[in-house]
Amino acid sequence: MILKTNNLSKRFKHRLVVSDLNLEVEKGQIFGFLGPNGAGKSTTIRMLLSLIAPTSGNFELFGGDWKTQDKKVYSKVGALVEAPDFYLYLSAERNLKILGELNGWISRNRIYEVLDIVRLKDRARDKVKSFSHGMRQRLGIAQAIMCKPELIILDEPTSGLDPEGIKEIRNLIVSLSKDLECTVFLSSHLLHEIEQVCTHMGIIDHGKLIVQGEVQKLLRETDFFVTEVSTDKPQKALDLLQSEPWVKKVALSDEILKVHLSAECRPKLAECLIRNKIRVSSIIPRTSLEDYYLSLVKRESEK
Amino acid sequence: MFLTLKAFYWESVKIFSKLRTYIGFITIAILIPMIMLLVRKYGFDVQSTAFRSLENSFFFVGTLINGLLISYYLMNVLWVHFPFFIVLVAGDVMAGEGAAGTFRMLLTRPISRFQVVTSKFLATFLYTAAIVLFLGICSVGVGILVIGGGDLFVFDKGILILVQREALFRFLLAYILAVWVQTTVAALAFLFSTISNNSVGPIIGTYAVIVVSLVLSVLRIDALESIKPYLFTSYFEVYFAPFSDPIPWHEILSDVIHLGAFILIFYLISVVIFMRKDICT
Repeated sequence: MILKTNNLSKRFKHRLVVSDLNLEVEKGQIFGFLGPNGAGKSTTIRMLLSLIAPTSGNFELFGGDWKTQDKKVYSKVGALVEAPDFYLYLSAERNLKILGELNGWISRNRIYEVLDIVRLKDRARDKVKSFSHGMRQRLGIAQAIMCKPELIILDEPTSGLDPEGIKEIRNLIVSLSKDLECTVFLSSHLLHEIEQVCTHMGIIDHGKLIVQGEVQKLLRETDFFVTEVSTDKPQKALDLLQSEPWVKKVALSDEILKVHLSAECRPKLAECLIRNKIRVSSIIPRTSLEDYYLSLVKRESEK
Repeated sequence: MFLTLKAFYWESVKIFSKLRTYIGFITIAILIPMIMLLVRKYGFDVQSTAFRSLENSFFFVGTLINGLLISYYLMNVLWVHFPFFIVLVAGDVMAGEGAAGTFRMLLTRPISRFQVVTSKFLATFLYTAAIVLFLGICSVGVGILVIGGGDLFVFDKGILILVQREALFRFLLAYILAVWVQTTVAALAFLFSTISNNSVGPIIGTYAVIVVSLVLSVLRIDALESIKPYLFTSYFEVYFAPFSDPIPWHEILSDVIHLGAFILIFYLISVVIFMRKDICT
């Protein structure tokens, strides 16, 4: 177990921000920590990084209790917490040098290597104050990975990035996990980000963990694998599919059929429609984490 | 220990990479030569004004004005004006990181908060020593170059005449003591900086404490005598002690220990506060 929290709680004056949180992250996982704004994601991450002290409960990093563990354990952790704030009056290279040196030692080659990964190599000697938000975000990623950590904690890492940058960072996260066998703890309020990148996830709302587990398993246990179908005769298609036993549920919305069926039945769906002389313009499989997430959050707020 | 020294090095790099660090150095580099040039031109008028009260008892031939005398009088800026340059930097060392959000990066490294606060405190001391000694070198050096050297006449409980060589030694001692005095100011600003998340508060707060303490230190009211030992400003004038004859080593040692106690207390409070502080910015 790389990371484990035991009834972790944080209270700011009279406001309970995180309540009895029990998370478990195992080696090699890309763990998505999902929740709406103000749910307690950043507070949890700050506790895990010892930026704030828990009010009660505890957590374990690499099997050691945070209260007794040496701060050296953080040499195995790379982190980016919220906005990437650097020393604006120093260059990107010098910022990384300072942070890297506090980890022990960092070579100039390694600094340029990570700057190259985040496409900032040619700006290495420029002061950070001349960087755009997106560039600072990429520099934040660079400092998180530069010391080859075993656990990377990223808080909203794609915030402020352009679409190309977002794609790069997501690919980078996946490759870090695969190639370097890094465990990634990724906080985000972007549902599709978690869906695309993460193997496991936990959903937090109002400081409480609603659910955690393997992303695909959690989705399979629900009705939210949806296949969207566009046809020339939506009503006829609806009537037809309602009578098919392998279709779990079907609904028509804005001329689009939303069909709930298992992935292996999708070829059967196309074949059935064509056989009945219904012209199909598109079949788009969607796993709607958003629906799942909203249903959980709604259920919690109704309690 | 090695990590603390390494952090101290990088904290010093940070301090000396900021523009505000050089405000004091630039001001001194401009102001001191300007004062010396003005004294060189109007020095005799200054002398007649300064020594008017002594003219009934003494007959002056020539001039007492030289670079060393002006440097001696310039040491008075160390009371109220000079601390501004100290709090400007010391007040920003901790609060600046809080305001900029850079603690989030720094404290997620395998370095303890004790090491962070200690390295920052040492870097603040380095800056303090550098700027005080710069004032000393600039003041005495430029004074001798522009106005000229000679014997130093010190008017304090009588007249003390120090030959140039002896005067330079006394200046060295005085400025080393001034470093210690200003370190007390820096330690207080550092403490306020640890509490605050912006550097304006520590600057104003430290200045307020200095001014109030100075007023209480110099007021000759019996009721205040009992609290004076607890005011760090009561020991500020220690840097004028080397210009007495003989040098009051015991008094100097006592004042240095008292100031050291204040520095230690301010530092320890800073450590305790920072170690318990939630980094929410």
